[in-house]
Amino acid sequence: MAEFALPKHSKIVKGIDYPINSEAENTKKINVYRWSPDDDENPRIDSYTIDLDQCGPMVLDALIKIKQEIDSSLTFRRSCREGICGSCSMNIDGTNTLACLKSIDDVKGDINIYPLPHMEVIKDLVPDLSKAYEQLTSVKPWLQSKSDPEKGKSRKQSPKEREKIDGLWECVLCFSCSTSCPSYWWNGDKYLGPAVLLQAYRWIADSRDENTEQRLEELEDSFKLYRCHTIMNCTKTCPKGLNPAKAIGEIKKLQLERR
Amino acid sequence: MQSKSHGVVHWKLQRISAIAMIPLIIWFVSSLVFSLINGYDQSINWLQSPLNATGMILLFGTLYFHAASGLQVVVEDYVHNEGLKIMSLILIKLLSVLLGVLSILCVLKIYV
Amino acid sequence: MSEYEIVDHEHDVVVVGAGGAGLRATLGMVSGGLKTACITKVFPTRSHTVAAQGGIGAALNNMGENDSWQFHMYDTVKGSDWLGDQDAIEYMCKEAIPSVTELENFGVPFSRTEDGEVYQRPFGGHTLDYGKKMARRACAAADRTGHAILHTLYQQCLKYQAEFFVEYIALDLLMDDNGKCVGVLALCMDDGKIHRFRGHQTVLATGGYGRVYFSCTSAHTCTGDGNAMVLRAGLPLQDMEFVQFHPTGVYGAGVLITEGSRGEGGYLTNSEGERFMERYAPTAKDLASRDVVSRSMTIEINEGRGVGPNKDHIFMHLEHIDPATLQMRLPGISETAKIFCGVDVTKEPIPVLPTVHYNMGGIPTNYHGEVVTRKGNDQDAVVSGLMAIGEAACVSVHGANRLGTNSLLDIVVFGRAAAQRALKTVEKGSAHAPLPKRVTDKILARLDKVRHSNGDVSVGEVRNSMQNAMQKHAAVFRSNTSMKEGVQKVDTISKGMDNIGIKDRSMIFNTDLVEALELENLMQQAIVTMKSADQRKESRGAHSHEDYPERDDKNWMKHTIMWLNEKNKTKLDYRDVHLNTLTNEVASIPPAARVY
Repeated sequence: MAEFALPKHSKIVKGIDYPINSEAENTKKINVYRWSPDDDENPRIDSYTIDLDQCGPMVLDALIKIKQEIDSSLTFRRSCREGICGSCSMNIDGTNTLACLKSIDDVKGDINIYPLPHMEVIKDLVPDLSKAYEQLTSVKPWLQSKSDPEKGKSRKQSPKEREKIDGLWECVLCFSCSTSCPSYWWNGDKYLGPAVLLQAYRWIADSRDENTEQRLEELEDSFKLYRCHTIMNCTKTCPKGLNPAKAIGEIKKLQLERR
Repeated sequence: MQSKSHGVVHWKLQRISAIAMIPLIIWFVSSLVFSLINGYDQSINWLQSPLNATGMILLFGTLYFHAASGLQVVVEDYVHNEGLKIMSLILIKLLSVLLGVLSILCVLKIYV
Repeated sequence: MSEYEIVDHEHDVVVVGAGGAGLRATLGMVSGGLKTACITKVFPTRSHTVAAQGGIGAALNNMGENDSWQFHMYDTVKGSDWLGDQDAIEYMCKEAIPSVTELENFGVPFSRTEDGEVYQRPFGGHTLDYGKKMARRACAAADRTGHAILHTLYQQCLKYQAEFFVEYIALDLLMDDNGKCVGVLALCMDDGKIHRFRGHQTVLATGGYGRVYFSCTSAHTCTGDGNAMVLRAGLPLQDMEFVQFHPTGVYGAGVLITEGSRGEGGYLTNSEGERFMERYAPTAKDLASRDVVSRSMTIEINEGRGVGPNKDHIFMHLEHIDPATLQMRLPGISETAKIFCGVDVTKEPIPVLPTVHYNMGGIPTNYHGEVVTRKGNDQDAVVSGLMAIGEAACVSVHGANRLGTNSLLDIVVFGRAAAQRALKTVEKGSAHAPLPKRVTDKILARLDKVRHSNGDVSVGEVRNSMQNAMQKHAAVFRSNTSMKEGVQKVDTISKGMDNIGIKDRSMIFNTDLVEALELENLMQQAIVTMKSADQRKESRGAHSHEDYPERDDKNWMKHTIMWLNEKNKTKLDYRDVHLNTLTNEVASIPPAARVY
């Protein structure tokens, strides 16, 4: 049954407030979830007030500014800062997204930042994604074909066939979608989640892949696939504008055609 | 309860039963409005027509089937204790069969 | 050093870095049966290869233009301003064809032509018939080619069950008493343990160090950790003065707008609305090589013809291109322009500025990927047990200026070459010689010092001043006075490293510590870059010297190599450029004036 008692370290307490010292006019308060495994403390919310006139336009710029100038112990993942590496996915203003693509001006009032929901936290805004990566591996996300291409030759694929995987292969594996899905929250150990199902469909839809039947067979499971209840949070939250819900729908459609 | 390969069958039947219920519910509600609100005797009369009795039996069958498969999904979503889950699923199946048979018998009793 | 728990691993090969080069090498090694560890500080698909946009160069000739690898080689040599090694360039351009075909076979979602072949687009500096007209040679997956390749290589590695160590930061190379590299020491960020990886070959695929500059297209993680490890191992870095400025970084944000956008018909204008590249490069125009375009843009701005309120940038136009084409060929940069400068590319120009993009210099290697150094008269002495590939390496195929699409090509070709070489030279499963404890202890002492540093300057402050100094003094145009000043500044700033303090003392996911280690790495490369630049008294490729505006082949057609000791003192030497080709299938290309 669902657990009603909260597990250890669930209650979030108020943390440290870092007010701004200068007389900046254009300021913003940023509330950030903090938790370190090294002490036995509960998570807390630290508040940092920053001068927006001295800061880049994106939420990631604000986090970097805080780390650089106010509190270097603040921990988060980041790399490309242009929305292609998928490192800085987190929950900003109640929505999972990439911090580097989220404009500070898009948030009215204080900005609240939490790690991706319902994942184990390693530290502060860094979630443990290892299970999600294992699930990705489990769908064998590589080209499988029985016939080898002619040696030294490319496989052919018409622009029409190629078009079928547009909107699928561009996924950056930030897992914003999976961690916004209630079904994934409750059954993340068995349900593959939208990010991984999108990857699965990317290969089903690729005309070069010849293992469609086997792929569909392995997905035909009431938990792996059918925990999707078409809630659509995945599509709504995707920072890259992709549509995992549609991909899952297509997989379901193909399952029907097989039976 | 769910064997691996039943995903698509369960998903399909849940949707077929949902679709089947659309005309059945429309028919039932309109009957409710036009015939059944006119008192006990009229309702008995109404149910004694073979067409209406058949409709009611179909409605009850589909309804309990759909309810059972919907509840099954809810239990699978939220109940993570294996034992409790299996018990709940058995209970849901039993209850829906019981209530379904009971409802159909009631219709037949009036019809005959 | 008992404070640190050490976990030991023994492999045939250890690859450091999981970008395109690291993954291609890992794939080749694992599929060939070598026990391989791939250590990476970010999850593989987050490596900066993912951000490459425009394409990968290979003379596949899918566009029916009678393209050939000989033309590709000519363009690359010319692009390198004759500082590239012609044997390596021949190898790369020839192997480009099977390497890219292999990528397609692995499943890379390349865009397609009507015939179903891999789509190719024009790119800067790529020509047919030795410069007569522009070639369509860049094999593209929309404008996300790097993403397509990186993800596919990771998928292939999964297929062969390659062993990854994710979120481990490499600390230093394990060098034995004979100067042989026997592995690498790394810190696992997840649990704070030290891992000692032993390998018969250690392959550095750690990428560039764009972050020594304030404004760059590189990711925050591009800190050249491998380059710095090589310096600390007492080995030199080569041609570090050659830093490529990409003409079209977004003004302000610094994010990249692919050269492929000019390949698809985009062009640059100044404040007078003039397509000024026609003046500087009458044939190639906006598709001249990057150093040429970046210099031309800088001249336009310096002469007061920049756009915007401060006249400090340039416009790039795409609005004349059919929106459907933009959607199909350049969806990514349309999105980038929208997000980072609020520009709708179908209606307005994008504000752009030359931005630091690529490091031609790095760890000197031969075309097998083996690290070389100069020992007395032997200019090509192989360092046993150590390889370097990708942007970290200086093979040198890019010389003084890299052509667009040749970096994706470099990582794939030399990642593959390194794997082939290791399969030949490494005996599978052979034993590892014992390693004296002091080798590990020395590295841990350095880690310990940084971890417990409690000075009063933050990592951020020191990094900022270093980046600003580099931005100012090792820029598109350089001069004697500016570079002298730069050398002094960087020297002073580097002393500030003794005074840094970090706040986070924990061992688990301590990014405060990691950034301090990265800063140390960056600083050493900043010193070497600044000094290498200061000593080169000529203009060649990306190194544009106002006091010596001409290329000087007689005195300077040579690679700079520079060592750095523990006291941050440098030692300078040179290696000859390989003007010889690898085979007699092609003749050496003699130096000539570089006109586009």
